[in-house]
Amino acid sequence: MIPYILYVLFALGGAAIYLAMPKPSGSQRRAALILGVGVIAGLLALMSIHFVAPNSNNFFFYMFAGLAILAAGRVVTHPVPTYSAVYFALVILCVAVLLVIQRAEFLAVALIIIYAGAILVTYAFVIMLAQQSGAVSTDTRAREPLMAILVSFVIAGAIAGKIEQIDAVPVKLTAQVPQAVTDVPIETALPATEMESGHTKAIGEIMFGPYLVVVELSGILLLIAMVGAIAISRKQVPIEDTGEPKLPVGQIGREVPPF
Amino acid sequence: MLSWLQNQVVFSAVLSLVLIAGMMTCVAYCIYFERKISAWIQDRQGPNRVGFLGLFGNFHFWGLGQPIADGAKFFLKEDIIPARVDKPLFILAPAISMIVALIGFVVIPWGGSYMLGDTIMNVQVANPDVGLLYILGVGSMGVYGVVLGGWASNNKYSMYGAVRATAQMLSYEIPMGVAILVVVLASGQLRLEEIVLGQVGGNGLWNIVLHPVSFLILLITLFAETNRAPFDLAEAEQELVGGFHTEYSSMKFAMFFLGEYVHMITGSAFICVLFLGGWELSFFGIGPAFPGTGIEDVGLISVIIKIGVLAVKVAFFIFLFMLVRWTLPRFRFDQLMRLAWKGLIPVSLGILVLTVMGVYMGWQRSVLFNLGSEIAIVAATLGVVILANKPVTGRQDNMPVVTQPLGG
Repeated sequence: MIPYILYVLFALGGAAIYLAMPKPSGSQRRAALILGVGVIAGLLALMSIHFVAPNSNNFFFYMFAGLAILAAGRVVTHPVPTYSAVYFALVILCVAVLLVIQRAEFLAVALIIIYAGAILVTYAFVIMLAQQSGAVSTDTRAREPLMAILVSFVIAGAIAGKIEQIDAVPVKLTAQVPQAVTDVPIETALPATEMESGHTKAIGEIMFGPYLVVVELSGILLLIAMVGAIAISRKQVPIEDTGEPKLPVGQIGREVPPF
Repeated sequence: MLSWLQNQVVFSAVLSLVLIAGMMTCVAYCIYFERKISAWIQDRQGPNRVGFLGLFGNFHFWGLGQPIADGAKFFLKEDIIPARVDKPLFILAPAISMIVALIGFVVIPWGGSYMLGDTIMNVQVANPDVGLLYILGVGSMGVYGVVLGGWASNNKYSMYGAVRATAQMLSYEIPMGVAILVVVLASGQLRLEEIVLGQVGGNGLWNIVLHPVSFLILLITLFAETNRAPFDLAEAEQELVGGFHTEYSSMKFAMFFLGEYVHMITGSAFICVLFLGGWELSFFGIGPAFPGTGIEDVGLISVIIKIGVLAVKVAFFIFLFMLVRWTLPRFRFDQLMRLAWKGLIPVSLGILVLTVMGVYMGWQRSVLFNLGSEIAIVAATLGVVILANKPVTGRQDNMPVVTQPLGG
């Protein structure tokens, strides 16, 4: 029963996003808003009834989860790309808060530093440079909205349904991973020493223990990508010979008259 | 009587209220001192007229009423939102600047632990596992205020300021992060309180003794991250009118300004905690840890001394910020990028590699090894610079050179 409710909600959510997509004739924003808020409320209600009992900790979870979904909707539906970037930053912040609630502080802060602090600023930078003369016509219409929405919401619905099935069966996590989401209070769930040294140490031990090769390989991959990016961006620009006399190296800057 | 304070959450809430009030006062007086110091450097008087309503006749208290007058002026000025700006982002940008600046200081350990009744309190608003990374994360969000403000202003000068600020902050975050990583490796901690404790006591050494070059790199990058001269290209008055805040007026402008100063205070406190032992002053035998015992004194007087010590250190750095601003000229943009990418990043990476080796060998507290490796790295860098024989101005040697005076 629950998966079907989920699928219906996802279908409605897809419809809401489709309605909100920018179109030259103007999007049906009011209908999309009503539908979207309804879907989010339905999802949260379903979760609060079926999955996690509401308490003070979960209140923040529902608040920021709802906010994250709303902001994510605006990322794809806002006609101005700069706003999309800002909404994306909001999504990242909300997800970081969700991670903090699950006591994964290291992941939360790393997400903020890397995503919101570096990558998104670069996006915003490029968007702003590309877009100085107001909105262009390519921004007022979505490109292949129907297919994109269909594919993404089918995938999301499938994942959600699968998670719902897994969630019905209690899973035992391995002992060395600090169990993040749990109904047990954190203080009892983790041994005292682990609370003292924190999750950063646990993450480090896992990353540089069993997963050392993967970490190193991805590091090498990033290095290769960086070298490639530099190689692509470096172009020889021919310098025009103006026929003016050149000063020897080391004297330039000192011999130049000020005016 | 004070039993209601014996809960860390309540204590933190009270502390953060006190801190915000204190910070705002400090910022107001920072602006006053900035004006006084600039006047001192330029052989002027500086603000010396505003006293306290003339209550004391002709004695004006050296203009100490100036911050109050400045604040009142900011509030009473007309708040102009120019036509054709992007209104939501135009309003949001100064708020982001301010918020980001104000949430940064919560993880600074202002005064160690405090025994209140029978409970031990952290004189720190929050003590998360990743306090150090938290400051980095919050600091990296600061660029949004500048970028959005510059873009939303619909003004070429603002746009250039925003573009410069983005490139600058992204570049300087890298050496900053690596310099901080050296401290993290040396102390094996991400908690700021623990980093301070590692430098406290009889056998503890301030990190500046072990890693002076990392300290200098962090200091330089802090100048860049706070957009202060000589890295204030985002608001270069001679080139960009006002840079990213050209179109801002009244309290919105003041919020950018307050954000910058709070950022300065937080950054100074951060560098004190990382490299200068935070609240520690053990050479005089007073304060936190009595040398040799390693036991932290948690009495009220001790806490007050600790907070005072940290405040003095922070004040020194703020003075340094101001001194540098009014003495050094601004970098050119390519010099700025060169310094970060070709100077600070290789040096800091070299130090990082040697520090990792030291940690692996168990020499992370060895003065000889750490100092030696830092000196070696700096010497190697200087050697490369000298051998490369490139002009230090950063100009390309085949760039066309002006030989005739322009305009006769």
